[in-house]
Amino acid sequence: MLDDGRPLFQQIAQQVADGVVAGTFPEGAQVPSTTELAVLHRINPATVGKGLALLVADDVLHKRRGLGMFVSEGARERLVARRRTELAATYVRPLVEEARSLGLELDDVHRLIDQLDQEGLR
Amino acid sequence: MSTTTAARSGPAVRVRGASRRFAGTAALDDVTLDVPRDRVCGLLGRNGAGKTTLLSLLAGHDRPDAGTVEVLGEQPFENPRAAGTSLLVRDDQRYPDDFHLAHVLRVGPLFHPAWDAALAAEVVERFRIPAKPPVKKFSRGQRSALGVLLGLAARAPVTILDEPTLGLDATARAHFRELLVREMSEHPRTVVLSTHLVDEMEGALDRVLVLDRGRLVLDADVDEARERAHVVLGPAEAVERATAGSRTLASRRVGGFAEVVLEGPATAAATRSAGAAGLQVRPAGLQELVAALGAGDPPSPEAAVTAPAPSATTVSGASR
Amino acid sequence: MTTATAPRAGRATHGPGASALAVLRLQTTKRFETFGSPLVVLATALLVTALVALVVWRATPEGSGTWVEVSRGLQLVLWWLVGYMVYNGVQSVATTFPLALTLGSTRAAFTAGTAAHHVLVSAHVTLVALALLGLEHLTDRWFTGLHLLDSLFLGGGDPVRLVAILFLGQLVALSVGGAFAAVWVRHGPRVTFAAGVGVVLVLALAAALVVPEVVEAADAFRLWWLAVLAVGVIALCALVQTLALRRAAVR
Repeated sequence: MLDDGRPLFQQIAQQVADGVVAGTFPEGAQVPSTTELAVLHRINPATVGKGLALLVADDVLHKRRGLGMFVSEGARERLVARRRTELAATYVRPLVEEARSLGLELDDVHRLIDQLDQEGLR
Repeated sequence: MSTTTAARSGPAVRVRGASRRFAGTAALDDVTLDVPRDRVCGLLGRNGAGKTTLLSLLAGHDRPDAGTVEVLGEQPFENPRAAGTSLLVRDDQRYPDDFHLAHVLRVGPLFHPAWDAALAAEVVERFRIPAKPPVKKFSRGQRSALGVLLGLAARAPVTILDEPTLGLDATARAHFRELLVREMSEHPRTVVLSTHLVDEMEGALDRVLVLDRGRLVLDADVDEARERAHVVLGPAEAVERATAGSRTLASRRVGGFAEVVLEGPATAAATRSAGAAGLQVRPAGLQELVAALGAGDPPSPEAAVTAPAPSATTVSGASR
Repeated sequence: MTTATAPRAGRATHGPGASALAVLRLQTTKRFETFGSPLVVLATALLVTALVALVVWRATPEGSGTWVEVSRGLQLVLWWLVGYMVYNGVQSVATTFPLALTLGSTRAAFTAGTAAHHVLVSAHVTLVALALLGLEHLTDRWFTGLHLLDSLFLGGGDPVRLVAILFLGQLVALSVGGAFAAVWVRHGPRVTFAAGVGVVLVLALAAALVVPEVVEAADAFRLWWLAVLAVGVIALCALVQTLALRRAAVR
């Protein structure tokens, strides 16, 4: 659902990018139109356009005149690579900070991760 | 038929120093603003802030005592060249006695050549507007639905809606937002609407105007507005220490806790140090910003945070 | 480029004349109320007149002819129509003006379109009454001697007088209603009430001053004096409505 405090256009961009990473929108495939996304989320088409423009600037999407927006060649690979480098900042740091504030050591955190792995989380 | 340059380019609405007084009280006080073309502009503020007065000036239902109002390059009051370019549906819109839904559907196209009968039928269906009772007997929500019908189906180049969601149930409000954004995609036009449902409508808006006691206190893109303030919440003393020296827009204390709305975005450093002190920091919601701007004392001039209307650079041509 | 062309298209089809026409069509949107209801009032008035005449006929000695005099003298048609048209005139401005403004009419176009509406409605009812008068003559007073439209205040059977009296009478009623409603829209209920009281006082004063003269001038009285008076009142009402609405704001 949209609304995590960030500007809506960033959330739209994130959501479409998620779809590319997950394979919902394979490379070369068409992504939903501005109108479809606007009506789906009941948000302003200009905001949707702004979000898609972010993805065009990042070469995740490209526009084909009169046809719509399509997933660029190599988009998924680039997104995955970037998200890997961002993993530390977006997930690991908050995890470690929260663990420290609860008085856990890094070893405890490692153990929790191993535990999840054994329980069968892919 | 002289279409001025201003009518073809430039902002859809241009207001300069407009004031309107009623019985000596200023309902609008020296308001200057632009509404960009083909954008949805939300007019926010508390009851009595001057929202309906401003909308009346834009639609030519009333005229300013001082200052100027232009809509698509024309002064709207009693101007045949401006007639039909805008449409203001009032929250307390009156209809002739014995008017029924069918009559409203018949008169719309008389004044608005772009009237879309299929869209009108869709609004009737989605909002379940009854055909049988006279409009006079409509409930609050049904009257609002009829206003939405007139406002959207007319496809007026400048569509002005006063409290369109008043009394609508949650389902109908969702229909309204959906129809509004679909119309904006398929038939772009300038929309100015007033509302109290700030958070709910935020996504449908491009721009926000906030009035407080007749004065314009915010004029910004929605995304910018979100950057205008942040909220710090936590134990009162810690909040006081962390926010000393910052410009406080609003604050409240409940028990030992304090919540303050501070001007400007939360910096990463401030967020981290506040977090270390056990405080929560988050961007202010639009409603919180509106409440903060309209809550306190009469705003000092420097408290007015206004920004120029967005240029074409704000949004790239990525649509469709 | 939809947005650039839409306003120009709007202007092309919505000059002042076109807009006054749109107001006329707005005023006549309620088709039955516009064209049917006045005829119902007319028919009811005729029916009641006939019934009263019947009662009088039964109550008076055979061949007295009183009932014919009653049917000729009972002025229900004129007064009922005038009363209904005052209400109609108020309606045509009080609640229609805010909707016309919302739809994008100018005040000038509204005033013109509403005046046209008043003329249309008066003419419509007058023509029907004229046709009924013709029928009354053709059927030899409804085969009974009953005088319904051939009555004293409707010109005593003269079609020209009937048309003049009914048309101008209704138009005066519509105009007065419209003028008061316009004052109400512009200035609110208190001023309107004061204006009503003022008009009554002025009429009473004028009557007090003029009546002695009238008695003297009674021999010289001509019906066209009334027609001139009616046209004057209609013009005055149109002026009042124009002035009141010219700056009227809906807040």
